[in-house]
Amino acid sequence: MTVLIEIKVPDVGNVAEIDVVEVLIQAGDIVTLEQTLATLETDKASMDLPSSVSGTIQQVYIKPGDKVSEGSLIATVLASTDQAVSPAVPEAVVLPVVAPIVEQRPEPIQTPVIAVTEVAIIESDPSSRKAHASPSVRLFARELGVDVAKIKTGSGRKARILKEDVIKFVKKVMAAGVVASGAGIPSIPAVDFTPYGETETLKLSKIKRLTGQNLSRVWLNLPMVTYHDEADITDLEAFRTSLNAEKLKGEVKITGLMFIIKALVAAMQQFPSFNASLSADGESLILKKYFNIGIAVDTPNGLVVPVLRNANTKTINELALELAEKSEKARLGKLLPADMQGGCLTISSLGGIGGMAFTPIVNAPEVAILGVTRAKMQPVWNGTEFVPRLMLPLDLTYDHRVIDGAEGAKFMALLKQNLSDIRRLLL
Amino acid sequence: MNEAVLHAEVLVLGGGPGGYSAAFRAADLGKQVVLIERFPVLGGVCLNVGCIPSKALLHAAQIIHEVDEFEAHGINYGKPTLDLPKIKAWKESITKTLNEGLAGLVKQRKVTLIQGTGQFTSPDTLAVQTETGVTTIRFDQAIIAVGSHPTKIPIFPHDDPRLWDSTDALELKEVPKKLLVVGGGIIGLEMATAYHALGSEISVVELMDQIIPGCDKDLITPLFRRIKKQYKKIWLETRVKSIESHEEGLKVFFEGKGAPESEMFDAVLVAVGRRPNGKLISAELAGINVDEQGFIAVDKQQRTNVPHIFAIGDVVGNPMLAHKAVHEGKVAAEVIAGLKSEFDALTIPSVAYTDPEVTWMGLTENQAKQQGIEYDKAVFPWAASGRSLCLGRKEGLTKILCEKETGRLLGAGMVGPNAGELISEAVLALEMGADAEDISLTIHPHPTLAETFGFAAEMITGTITDLYIKK
Repeated sequence: MTVLIEIKVPDVGNVAEIDVVEVLIQAGDIVTLEQTLATLETDKASMDLPSSVSGTIQQVYIKPGDKVSEGSLIATVLASTDQAVSPAVPEAVVLPVVAPIVEQRPEPIQTPVIAVTEVAIIESDPSSRKAHASPSVRLFARELGVDVAKIKTGSGRKARILKEDVIKFVKKVMAAGVVASGAGIPSIPAVDFTPYGETETLKLSKIKRLTGQNLSRVWLNLPMVTYHDEADITDLEAFRTSLNAEKLKGEVKITGLMFIIKALVAAMQQFPSFNASLSADGESLILKKYFNIGIAVDTPNGLVVPVLRNANTKTINELALELAEKSEKARLGKLLPADMQGGCLTISSLGGIGGMAFTPIVNAPEVAILGVTRAKMQPVWNGTEFVPRLMLPLDLTYDHRVIDGAEGAKFMALLKQNLSDIRRLLL
Repeated sequence: MNEAVLHAEVLVLGGGPGGYSAAFRAADLGKQVVLIERFPVLGGVCLNVGCIPSKALLHAAQIIHEVDEFEAHGINYGKPTLDLPKIKAWKESITKTLNEGLAGLVKQRKVTLIQGTGQFTSPDTLAVQTETGVTTIRFDQAIIAVGSHPTKIPIFPHDDPRLWDSTDALELKEVPKKLLVVGGGIIGLEMATAYHALGSEISVVELMDQIIPGCDKDLITPLFRRIKKQYKKIWLETRVKSIESHEEGLKVFFEGKGAPESEMFDAVLVAVGRRPNGKLISAELAGINVDEQGFIAVDKQQRTNVPHIFAIGDVVGNPMLAHKAVHEGKVAAEVIAGLKSEFDALTIPSVAYTDPEVTWMGLTENQAKQQGIEYDKAVFPWAASGRSLCLGRKEGLTKILCEKETGRLLGAGMVGPNAGELISEAVLALEMGADAEDISLTIHPHPTLAETFGFAAEMITGTITDLYIKK
């Protein structure tokens, strides 16, 4: 006697998606108990899936690249009944990669519970009963997600709601909701401020409105982490001051920012994931082989980010000149779209103003942004005594989907090293 | 033993009107459908042992009555002779025709039909016990349409062949001399109507204080008056305590107003309602919640607590009516196919195919009073309808209820011959949001029974000329 036994993905803890990495069987194969059938991988661990029976594989339901979850059918095995059949749930051998060993439990029947109406004589929703709309119009409204009860009067006979009224309603709602509010997120309600005092309404500049939309989108889409640290730029500053002293009157002075750009590019060369973008479907990382650095520039009309292209091939003097030109264009509102495209990583410097630290928002699809505030002379313990050192606060915000914590910290450490001793940039 | 495994994009469990409608709609929307039915024919209770065969018997009853009643108006056929086997064969030929029609529709739509009893074995598998063994079906989505069965009262002697349920009564094995109908609802009274015409002496016992509980009393009264004369006894507010099997008949013990302590009957039809079949399908193995009575709760899209499993028809709740199940079946199939359907009907009309027929839809007057809804009411008597008088009948009524403020139709009901055919206009008017004026301004052909609906609306708008209503 033979029976058909279904082999399913066991409970591997609360994991929604498990990738099928390798399938080691095909229909017709003879498998023995505990033989590995397939290799599965979650974001935390990979595991070999052993057979729970001996027998002949009748059909295989998975292939490499498939996404499966607990309970998904792996294969059916034709097994003879006279062998002892181990429990329906195969024990997975878990090979921890990063995470601790996943605990094994017998497979319970778990089904999501959704709210259901009580069993009763069907009584329709009184709100739709009130609406003066025929069944076809109610269907049409439902297809568009419109609550017909919200359409107060229709244009048909005796204020009957017609399809056109549903369309008009949708247009009205769409027109009202177009202002920068993310879909599905409750908007901030309008408030009448007049009872509290005098107000004046200023129209936002176009740059400000667009920036606002972009920032909201990034804020909602990216899980961001900001890492704060300080770099010792005492030596760098001394070098920079001596360089600028050599400059003739009218020549463009070198700012600390130029060194930061160079130090950053050097760090990006060693950490390619910082010079990357996540594909729109979130499935892959696109690594960039060029090094374009965006510099956030404050202008009377709002924030703009001119891009310094191929920063890795340019000298500090060239970069200083280029940024001076672009900043001037930005302030005059003459930057072209091309001047602001193609950035790999952005620096937002508040150096001239002050502050201790802040949390800049990533300029997606870039994966990180470096915030800089004003350097301060601080007492630093060198092991035997406090010495005055010029410390530059740095704030690195990154997209946590791409960069994990340790990588962020290592990147920052390298960046600090580069800034503390710029001779390293020659290496 | 080898277990066959079959895959279904959509599995429909139960081939009654709701189940086959769901299967056909899903197939028409491009789904690969497997339909499971425990009987060799499709159509479920409705087609095989319910609505359809009962209507055949009721038509026979109507002919007998009409012939009988027309004797007084000058046509005398003499006393009819009944050939029971022939009536039965005619009744069966009707179901057979419809069965074959359904079988053809299954083939045309390439639905896989499996005969057997299905039990869930997991949230995505169902084992079907067929004649040849067990077939396992792995499904992506499922629709449960397993219907209901007649309620049995445990203390009654169910092994006695003279104790009937509606299925037994429709078999037309014999016409008992004395028939007791336990339960004065629609099913009991329809059977009483048929067997009365066939020659049984009928008694009815009902627990509540009116027959067809749930319907407004004024609509029931003309039926009640007529059957009170025709039947031996109608005991209201009376309970059947017990039934004893004796050689000479079934001895029934009563408890209640005006009922005797006991009486002997040749047959007893128990029609005290129906119970959902939710507990018969191992629903728990799929994780589906089934309540104490066997009902499966669903949302407006017919979805159970398990998102990929739907349920429709009798098993999801009252009223247990084929037209409700069909509508729900289509909703479930459409939701599965990704359409934004939901059960959005404003009312499910009810019809008792008694003589006279009783029908109603929307809000009843009882409900309007309970809910404190202000309404205008009009009742048009069929005694003022030429068409009704020509049928030799004058007891009928057409009643409508409209919202006081807007005149919008809230509910309607009719009693009289063919009343069941008249209710659809009221249902359409309700769905379209018509008010009394819309109905009264719609031209109804004369002379018809249907025009009584227009007349009732005219009574609300004050434009009626077929009656004189004192101001």
